[in-house]
Amino acid sequence: MKTGAYRAVFGMRAKMELQYRGAVLGGVVCQVFFGLILVSLYRALYRSRPQALPQETVVSYVWLQQAFFRMLLSSDNDLADKIRTGDIAYDLCRPVDMYWFYYARIMAQKLVGSLLRGVPMLAFALLLPKGWGLMPPASPAALLCAAASLAMGLMCVSAMENITMGITMRTLDPRGIQALLNLLMTLMAGNVLPLTLFPDAWQRVLFLLPWTQMLDAPIRLYTGVRETAAAAGVLGVQILWTAVLMLLGTELWKRNRKKLVLQGG
Amino acid sequence: MGPLRLYLKSTAMNMRIRMQYPLSFFMQTLAQLVMEGGEMLAVILIVDRFDTLDRWTGGDLYFFFGMMSVTFYLTEFLGRGVTGTFPSIVRSGQLDTLLLRPRGVLTQVLCSDADPRRIVCIAVGTAALCMGSAASHVRWTFLKALAMGEAILAGMMLILGLFLIEAVFCIFSVKSVELVNALTYGGRSACQYPVDIFPRPLKTLFTAAVPFALTLQMPAAFILDKPLFPWPEWTVFVCPLSGAAVFFVMAGVFHRALKRYRSTGS
Repeated sequence: MKTGAYRAVFGMRAKMELQYRGAVLGGVVCQVFFGLILVSLYRALYRSRPQALPQETVVSYVWLQQAFFRMLLSSDNDLADKIRTGDIAYDLCRPVDMYWFYYARIMAQKLVGSLLRGVPMLAFALLLPKGWGLMPPASPAALLCAAASLAMGLMCVSAMENITMGITMRTLDPRGIQALLNLLMTLMAGNVLPLTLFPDAWQRVLFLLPWTQMLDAPIRLYTGVRETAAAAGVLGVQILWTAVLMLLGTELWKRNRKKLVLQGG
Repeated sequence: MGPLRLYLKSTAMNMRIRMQYPLSFFMQTLAQLVMEGGEMLAVILIVDRFDTLDRWTGGDLYFFFGMMSVTFYLTEFLGRGVTGTFPSIVRSGQLDTLLLRPRGVLTQVLCSDADPRRIVCIAVGTAALCMGSAASHVRWTFLKALAMGEAILAGMMLILGLFLIEAVFCIFSVKSVELVNALTYGGRSACQYPVDIFPRPLKTLFTAAVPFALTLQMPAAFILDKPLFPWPEWTVFVCPLSGAAVFFVMAGVFHRALKRYRSTGS
């Protein structure tokens, strides 16, 4: 497989995502406001009943989830439109593998979109007083492991997004299935409620599901909820799931290619 | 045809429109259930882990969640024209047509859409209200039922009023301004929980500026027999009117903004 074309797609999409900086500012203000509301809530809960898990890890969990929100929830609207209008026919003519073409696009979109929002937000959260803001990483090693794990999470969530899109090619209407899968993802990835606050028995099961590989795993490594010594195991599960999702995705797209229904006329 | 009959007729029609694609409608409704069910699950898991939140018990928290959920999604169901479709009405230039017709613009916008998918969210909210009422052993009286009815109506007007802020921005900027939504959706997320648990700036914001505390939470706390503020009992019936006030003020601003409206052109 020649990778040049995919790298070019990645670069182009990244540049495009850099264009809308005004929208980014609005998004950051929104997410910070939501972050402050959630942090206030968890502080009040801890005031009523302290837990074994330190409060600052929950607060940091909230900030990291808010900062990388865009990595979880952003889809390729161009592709959804192409499926709806039938323009996807043109993509079939391109001399590239469609799966990796769109994989590169969505990865660039998620990476640049979340970095643009995440970096200023995390800088802000680091400046907040202790107990309100983001805690420093548990150790320098923890930061490194978390960064590696976040990169793996990005690959995993991009593979998941391509599966959602693959299913959309079958249902042809993006609204229902996409919303369903995305909302399920926000819940299971820890965006609605930090997964560290789920019942302990649930957490052991959730840890093995694909959704926890995206943001929950890196956040746990950063905050030290999972020891750095366990990082190899965490990364292993992440790599395993990413590979499984990619296999499922490429197979789904290959089959779609044979029985794709083109809309429009 | 009077505005009310017109509204009822169009809402019935809009609901039939939405259900023309049954499978898609079913999937979208299921997505709504996952969303609101997830929010509800979060509250249940919080109660499971923390038991209480300051002076509020788990049952109280379900009740507050239910109040917000029922009110917010009733508004999105019946007032979808204002809460959802207005930006596209402006962008497509359809607003020009509305200005020509011999009916109020706000009436026509409200008539333009209804969103029956939200029924599942309202059902989740109702379930939360029942759970909360049972767990907190609420003794229902006529006065409490009255307070609840007033709270929901006033809350719906407050939420419509907040969405009208976005509509006014939209008339001038053509593009929808998501930033304004932060207040509406932020208010929903925050005021699922009693406002007195929040630090003073947030408490003031949601009492004085965006009065969810006055319209929804004072009556809810009254029903739970745990007054939110140390004020006399009759204030429970007067304060929710602030929600209606927000709506009427914003409706006035909306109509003034329309006078300045310059079509989007083509």
